[in-house]
Amino acid sequence: MTSHFRVLLLFASLAWLLAGCDRAPDVAATPSSDPPGTVTVAKEDQPRIALVMKSLANEFFQTMEDGAKAHQVKHADEYELIANGSKNETDVTRQVELVEQMIAQKVDALVIAPADSKALAPVCKQAVEAGLVMVNIDNRFDAATLKDQGVKLPFVGPDNRKGAAMVGSVLAGKLARGDEVAIIEGAPNAFNGIQRKLGFEDAMKAGGLKVVASQSGHWETDQANKVAAALLTAHPKLKGLLCANDNMALGAVAAVKAAGKHGKVWIVGFDHLTAVQELLRDGTILATADQHADQLAVYGIEYALEMLRTKATPADKETPVELISAPGRVH
Amino acid sequence: MIQLRRLAADTVALWLVLAALIAFFSWRTPHFLTPATFSTLASQIPDAVALAVGMTLVLIAGGIDLSVGSVLALSSAALGVALTQWKLPLPIGSLVGLLIGCACGAVNGLVTIRWRLPAFIVTLAMMEAARGATYLATDSRTLYLGRSVQGLAEAKLQGVPLPFLLALALVGGAQFVLARMAFGRCLVAIGTNAEAARLSGLPVARVRLTVFALSGACAALAGLMQTSRLASVDPNMGAGAELAALAAAVIGGTSLSGGRGSVVSTFLGVLIIAVLGAGLAQIGAQEPTKRLVTAAVIVAAAVADHYRQRKGACR
Repeated sequence: MTSHFRVLLLFASLAWLLAGCDRAPDVAATPSSDPPGTVTVAKEDQPRIALVMKSLANEFFQTMEDGAKAHQVKHADEYELIANGSKNETDVTRQVELVEQMIAQKVDALVIAPADSKALAPVCKQAVEAGLVMVNIDNRFDAATLKDQGVKLPFVGPDNRKGAAMVGSVLAGKLARGDEVAIIEGAPNAFNGIQRKLGFEDAMKAGGLKVVASQSGHWETDQANKVAAALLTAHPKLKGLLCANDNMALGAVAAVKAAGKHGKVWIVGFDHLTAVQELLRDGTILATADQHADQLAVYGIEYALEMLRTKATPADKETPVELISAPGRVH
Repeated sequence: MIQLRRLAADTVALWLVLAALIAFFSWRTPHFLTPATFSTLASQIPDAVALAVGMTLVLIAGGIDLSVGSVLALSSAALGVALTQWKLPLPIGSLVGLLIGCACGAVNGLVTIRWRLPAFIVTLAMMEAARGATYLATDSRTLYLGRSVQGLAEAKLQGVPLPFLLALALVGGAQFVLARMAFGRCLVAIGTNAEAARLSGLPVARVRLTVFALSGACAALAGLMQTSRLASVDPNMGAGAELAALAAAVIGGTSLSGGRGSVVSTFLGVLIIAVLGAGLAQIGAQEPTKRLVTAAVIVAAAVADHYRQRKGACR
C-alpha cells in the first residue's frame, strides 16, 4: 500500500463519517420516523393490519405512514400495524411481493394504495381468498379489472377529479377566456393522475381556456422541468401550467423563471407539500390541493377495523380534498 | 491543429445525426429553431454533461459507475441539509456536497480494488446505499431551498449560462487530460489491458481509485447544478441518470469493455439526447412515441459510429 493510498483511505473514511453525521439531526428532529416496516408488538388476540403504500421517497406517502403510526400509538390496545412502502412510485413488482408477504404473515386486514390500478388486482384477489379484509385507499383500482377478477374492494379516498377541477378553477379565474394553458400529467398508468388530468380539463372547459398541450412529467421535478421548458418554447403565448403534483409544479416554476416569464405564466399544483408553502405565499404557485395525507391511511385502517367487527363490506367512502390558495394577493 | 482535425473527423457521424435532428424538428414545429430552445438546452444539459464525462473516464479505464444518479441525489441532499438545518453559507454547503460525492466515488474505487470485485456490483451497491442515505437525510421530503441557491444557474457570462461554460470547460479539460497527459494515457492503458499496465509499472490501483473519485465528484457537481436550477432537492432526483450517462457515452463511441472513448464525443451524445428530448416535447409527441424514437436514435447513432470506426481502421 503506497502512502498516497493511505491518505486517500483516511480522507475517504473521514468523508464517510461526515456523510453519517448529516443524518443525525434529521432523525432527532422527527421522533416519529421509525424505520419502515416496523412491527409494533402488541397482545396476541388483537387484529393485525398491514398498510402497503407506494414510494416512501415521496413526502405524501411518508406523511401517510406517519399519520397511520401516530393513530396506532393512540389506539395501541385495538390493533397492531405493519407498514411497508415500495422503492419508487412505479415499482409494481415490489408491491406485489409485499402483498404476498403480508398474506404469508397471516395479517387480518390489508390497506393498500396500489401503484398500478390494474396490475395489483390479481394479488389482491389472492389476499381476499386467503381471508384477508381488503381496503383500497388513495389510488382507485380499475373497476373493470376488479370485476374480471371477481373481487369487490371498498375504496376510501379523495375524488381527484373534483380536487383538480377546484385547483384548475383558481387558474381559470386568473386568466381571460381563450388564453392558452398546458397540462403536465402524472405517470400515464396511474388512475389518480388520469383523474387529475380530467379534472383540470373540466375546469379549463368551464373557464373557456384552451389546453394546447398535455404531457407526462412522471411525477418528478426534473422531468417536469424539461417538459415545461419545451412547452414554454413551443407555445410562446402560454399563460398557465397545470401540474398533477407539487413536485412537478416545482420543476415548472424553475422552467418559467429560466424562460424569464415569471409573473406571466401561472402555475398550479396538487398535494400541498411543505416545499411549496413559500411559493404559495408569494403567489408563484397559485393553488394546490390538500388531500390530508396523514388522515388517508387512518380512514382506511378505521374502515378495515369496522369491517373486521361487522363482517360486512361497506360502500365506498369519499375523503375530503381541500383547496389551498393564496387569496387576495395582488399581482 | 492535426489533433483538432482528427477530432473533427472522429465526430463527423455524430455531428450529422445532430444536424439531422435539428433540421427535422425545425421543419416540424415553428418555434424549435429559436434562440429560446437553445438557451433552454444550454441551461438544461450541464448536469447531464458532468455525469457523462465522469462515466466516460470510468468506462475508458475498464470500469463502470452505476451509482452516479444516487450520488448526485446524496450530495444535493447534503447541500440542502447544510443550508436549511446547519445554516451554513452556500460555498461551504457546496463544498460539503462535493466532498461527499468524492468520498462515495473513493469508496467505490477502494472496494473494487481491495477485494478485486467487479465495479458493476460495487457501484450497484453504492447506488442503493447513497439513495437510502438520501432518503434518511431528507426524511423523504422535497426540500425547497429558494432563491439563495439559484445564483449559479442564473449567472451568465456574455449571455451564456455559467453552468454551461463550466460543462464546456469540464469537457475540454477532461479531453486534454485524456489525450495529452500521463493520467489519461494510463486510463487507456488500464482499460485496454490492466495486467499489462501493471507489469509495465503503471500505478494501476492509484489511477483507478482516482478515476472513481473523479466520477463521484462529477456526480456531485451535477447535483449542485441541478439543485441550483430547480431551487429544490427532490429525494428521487437523478434516478435513472446513470443510464442516460451511459447512453450518451455509448452514442459517442465509448467502449463498454474499456480502452476506447472520447469526452468530446460523449458531449455530442448528451447533445443528441437533449435535442431529441426537447424536440419531441415541443412537437407534443405521446409517451410511447418518445421512448420508441429515443431508442431508435440511440441505436442509429451507435451504428453510424461503428461504420465510421471500421472505415477508419481499414484505412
